[in-house]
Amino acid sequence: MRRLSGRFRSALIIGLQGIRARKTRTLLSMVSLFLGVLAVVVVQAGASIADKALLSDIELTSAVDGTTIIGMSMQPKATAVVLDTVHDRPDAVAMLGLAAIIGEPNVAPVNPGASPFDENWGGGMVCYGNGPCEPAAATAPPGQAVEVRLTAMTADVRPFRPLRPKAGQWLEFATMPSMAPRLVVNLEAAKGFERYKVPAEMRIGGATTNITPQFVGVVDDGDMQPRAYVRLDELNTWLPSANLADPNTGGEMQVLVSQGSPVQQVLTAKLKGIGAETWIETVDAKKQMESELKLLRLVFLAMAGLVLLIGVAGILNVGLATVGERVEEFALRRAVGTPRMLLAGIVLAETLLTGLFTAAVAIGVSAAGLKAVSVLLGDSEPFLQDMQFPWEAGIAGIIAGLVAGVLGGFVPALRAAGIPIATVMRA
Amino acid sequence: MTALIELTGITKVLKGQQQPRTILSGVDLAVQPGESVAIVGRSGSGKSTLLSILGLFDRPDEGSYLLDGRDISRLPERKAAKLRSSHFGFVFQRFFLLKHLTAAQNVSMALVNGQGWLPRRARRARVLQALEQVGIAHLAKNRPARMSGGEQQRVAIARALVREPKVLLADEPTGALDTETGTAVIDALLSATTRGCGLVLVTHDRDHAARMGRTLDLVDGVLTQRVNA
Repeated sequence: MRRLSGRFRSALIIGLQGIRARKTRTLLSMVSLFLGVLAVVVVQAGASIADKALLSDIELTSAVDGTTIIGMSMQPKATAVVLDTVHDRPDAVAMLGLAAIIGEPNVAPVNPGASPFDENWGGGMVCYGNGPCEPAAATAPPGQAVEVRLTAMTADVRPFRPLRPKAGQWLEFATMPSMAPRLVVNLEAAKGFERYKVPAEMRIGGATTNITPQFVGVVDDGDMQPRAYVRLDELNTWLPSANLADPNTGGEMQVLVSQGSPVQQVLTAKLKGIGAETWIETVDAKKQMESELKLLRLVFLAMAGLVLLIGVAGILNVGLATVGERVEEFALRRAVGTPRMLLAGIVLAETLLTGLFTAAVAIGVSAAGLKAVSVLLGDSEPFLQDMQFPWEAGIAGIIAGLVAGVLGGFVPALRAAGIPIATVMRA
Repeated sequence: MTALIELTGITKVLKGQQQPRTILSGVDLAVQPGESVAIVGRSGSGKSTLLSILGLFDRPDEGSYLLDGRDISRLPERKAAKLRSSHFGFVFQRFFLLKHLTAAQNVSMALVNGQGWLPRRARRARVLQALEQVGIAHLAKNRPARMSGGEQQRVAIARALVREPKVLLADEPTGALDTETGTAVIDALLSATTRGCGLVLVTHDRDHAARMGRTLDLVDGVLTQRVNA
């Protein structure tokens, strides 16, 4: 072990001396290798960034990896069972989907069916005061009203779905329920409220009266439909739990359950007991993402590998030329007792160090480039804001540099080890 | 007393040409510790081949080679490298100093050779001591380009002495130097014999050969004793 350590140190010292003595050649090797290592770093960084962006998008629209989503249609019995089961549980949240119209009463909303504002899906409901809702008829006069999907939550949904805050604040679940339910709208709903000035009056089927909501914030939830988020207990003041499953508006209900929580088993058993139909899905975002990115990543890595190979050819060429120039030096080193293995080690140490230096430069350039892109394009591409250089790309760069060093230095190392010692005698 | 070096019936035939040529033919040679031996002969007489065999650069085709009484005629390369490091010091006609290294770094080359490890401070002390021995410690930080031929050869001698070898092999060490400088180099080599180091000097210079304890003539691959005048 000690002998190995001595040889390793000797190889390192002599290798560094060789690099310092042949700066121009080392620079040429680095130049030929730089693009290859840079390509590997950029591909790996791009893949990591794409992974994160895609994962973040999947989590935004679905739920965080491992979450189980239990879905069902809203029926009075099922709703009661769900609310009872998830009550005060930190490992589950129930989300009830309702239709709500905000604006003038007795008018057809500008976006019937809570369609996106630049599309018209047709259909939709019109609710009359606190009475029943009916399909929006062609005869209903158009007016200043916006239809949204209303999501009422039993607890904070963000541990399960990381909604991105855009303005104002998120709902506070620790405080007493407000008489005027607080709403956080998504970007599409915010666009509608910015475009159409409507009275702050909200109508929901089954509500005891029209509600005056407070808008407290805007989030990005990845939904193309206008949507508003509200605390269920604040809504309950005006919409009793018994009326949540409104026969006119229908509605859907989802329960998000953390990985490993017993809620899933208990809830499905209870729902089965009352004959409620459910669908269950466990979010496996990483798997989904991998299948989407795998082929793309392979293609780019193959291209980067090809560029790296050209770099290896460059370092090999320079290495062979250098060994040819140093024949006497290597023969002399053998004469003073340097083993063949160490001579090979010296050449490999030089190419490995060159590979490492190149990797360091390529990583530095990539990190600086990413920072510049983040600063320049961060405003138009939000996912680029505060983007950190992925450590996986750094590791890939170092590995690429080392592999190129070994491949490019192997043949010159063999040549160096085979130089006959008698060269110094014949000189 | 066991001879430091004992060659018996060493034969070396140069193959790979049209006709094999015998370079050394049954050479016998014994060198005692502290003894200096000069080998003289015409160009192509086999002096350098003999030195190559002595220095374990090459192997004899026949005969035996004992070092301190141990047979090393058929030593594998790994063990030969170890012996070269621990027992031999080499001085060549061309000094073979690496131009990008200082005098001290050139001397240090013999210590940083993968045969054991010395910490930097101990290494530096050994290097300075070797340079001191040949009287050029003040040039430790100079590169070869800034030194005269004699100084460069002394650096090469210091490199050969730094591991305190048992045998010093010198192949025409004064060949590229003027008479005065050559004499100084021979002085430096002879000083090593005072501490028991054996010296084998291959030379064309009769005057330098005459300063050795013995002079041997190599004629057509056969070694014969010459009586120094």
